[in-house]
Amino acid sequence: MSDPAPVGFRVASDKLFLVGMAVLGGSYLLIIGAMVLADVVFLNYSDQPVLGPEMVRQGRYTGGEVAVPLETGRRYYFRKGQNDAGLQIGEQRIDSDGLFRAPGGQAVLLPNANDKPITASLRPEARVTQIAVTNQVATVTTDVPHGLLWGEFIRVSGVGDPGWDGVREITDTATNQLSFAVAGAAVPAAKLSLSKPNPLVQALRSRDIRFSIKLSLISCTLTTLLSLWVAVPIGYMMSRFEFRGKPIIDTLLDIPIVLPPLVVGLSLLILFRYMPEWLSDAVVYKWPAVVLAQFMVACAFAVRTMRVTFDQIPQRFEQVALTLGCNRRKAFWRVIMPQAKGGLLAAGTLAWARALGEFGPILVFAGATRQKTEVLPTSAFLELQAGRTEGMLAVSLIMIAAAVVVFVIARTLGMKRIFA
Amino acid sequence: MIALENISLRQGSFELRDINFELDAGDYGVLMGRSGCGKTTVLEAVCGLRKISGGRIILGGRDVTQLPPAERGVGYVPQDRALFPTMLVREQLAFALVLRELGQAEIASRVDELAELLGITALLDRMPEKLSGGEAQRVALGRALAHRPSVLCLDEPLAALDEELHGEMCRLLERVHRETGVTILHITHSPSEAKRLAGCHFRLADGKVTRDE
Repeated sequence: MSDPAPVGFRVASDKLFLVGMAVLGGSYLLIIGAMVLADVVFLNYSDQPVLGPEMVRQGRYTGGEVAVPLETGRRYYFRKGQNDAGLQIGEQRIDSDGLFRAPGGQAVLLPNANDKPITASLRPEARVTQIAVTNQVATVTTDVPHGLLWGEFIRVSGVGDPGWDGVREITDTATNQLSFAVAGAAVPAAKLSLSKPNPLVQALRSRDIRFSIKLSLISCTLTTLLSLWVAVPIGYMMSRFEFRGKPIIDTLLDIPIVLPPLVVGLSLLILFRYMPEWLSDAVVYKWPAVVLAQFMVACAFAVRTMRVTFDQIPQRFEQVALTLGCNRRKAFWRVIMPQAKGGLLAAGTLAWARALGEFGPILVFAGATRQKTEVLPTSAFLELQAGRTEGMLAVSLIMIAAAVVVFVIARTLGMKRIFA
Repeated sequence: MIALENISLRQGSFELRDINFELDAGDYGVLMGRSGCGKTTVLEAVCGLRKISGGRIILGGRDVTQLPPAERGVGYVPQDRALFPTMLVREQLAFALVLRELGQAEIASRVDELAELLGITALLDRMPEKLSGGEAQRVALGRALAHRPSVLCLDEPLAALDEELHGEMCRLLERVHRETGVTILHITHSPSEAKRLAGCHFRLADGKVTRDE
């Protein structure tokens, strides 16, 4: 018999090791959560007023206070910048952002410190002065330029008639005029009030973005089905058979993962120069290009997942099935695939999510044509290019929602398998 | 009956040559040998799961050397049992019969018969993950016997069982052997197990099979 551990032998505490791991892991989790939460919180979900032009003149606080004349009873929107303390109107002082009703007179901007640029903004709310209805199209005149664009949406309220109230698409604009379809006779201008619906409503109402949601959902699903269709046989062969050149094929399968996505798109574009004309006409810069670009990248991930899945299912099951009377095909369908369901689901989800986020290759290979090859990442990009951060964020939220829904469905199906 | 005639096979750097042995129909043969000497490989060759580079394998009077595993009429119980994780015990027992496209009534009666023989009637509607080691062993045995094979190949069937179950399984194997008359080839590295199960003893060592008397 040997003695137990010699007296005086001590093992150092694991506390630091465990805490260290928890901190590292925890901070990553925190960033993931905070990142998504930031998107959700940042977006302004309330409707915004329709505002006229800026009234604060550019310049610096030079010792004196900056005065802006106000119209009695009119509502103004004030936004404080970093160099401004607030707004003084007679006795009233306003130091938070938002709409206020002017008692009249002059508004005086109060600086935080002298000799700094003026950073505040003061804009009048647009009022409707005249309404004309012809052929069920209302043309509304505002007393100040409204700054709205054709194709944007406007919320009409205050009329009390469902033919008027609601979110309407702007069909025509002039500096002081905008038109939208209504179902009803003209109403007095005083009753009508206009506001800008929040960016999410704008995005969900927009025909372009509706198209891109539809194209995204359809192309991602198509890509996923195609990917699984290819990934299952490749994964199975790579997992079960030994053959010459297997390492080369293994490397080839990883190329779409390693290659920069943009290069994948470019390579596809160049490849289709060598294709017969009818084929490249049917694919390049059309929706099939979207699917093909998504497929090239998503499938590589599905193949990886399926290979790992099959690797984890011991060959023994097939061997037993073979002795019991299966051929390879039957053993595959009756014994192996039922066990690979979880992996199949994982591969499908992964492929779907990759496809949803695919942007670079689509831009290169399919273009960014509205209502033709526009998918959600393209929409986000176009919104950003148009300077509408809020619109981009709204599109991002739609993508987050789509991803979450797919993950929840996949998880629920996965659970069913476990609890069955 | 099992007869191996001059079997040679290789797997990587491992090689077996000129393996010969013969087991009469209805006999209980035990193949012994150290771990890693190739016992399982020989068994897999009998089942048709491993390609042989030379020789002939004869099962029940038929030369099966070129036949796929499905047509050899063998029942195989691997060491890890390999119960299909997605199937009920009942489905595992019926598996070989469904493949042979038997009628439902016939399948049901055969499953009941097997369950009774092996004492697993109460387990028929369980998933394999809910079975103990001994229970899983019985189910694997039942699955391998379902299609009435002429040869039953057992790869260390008692290895992972505790002392008490060990005795119980030995008795069960004897009973199965007696009642079905199947030729059994049983692999083990335990001499006491071999002695207990009687029959013919073979020893695989240094790439040769010898018959112990």
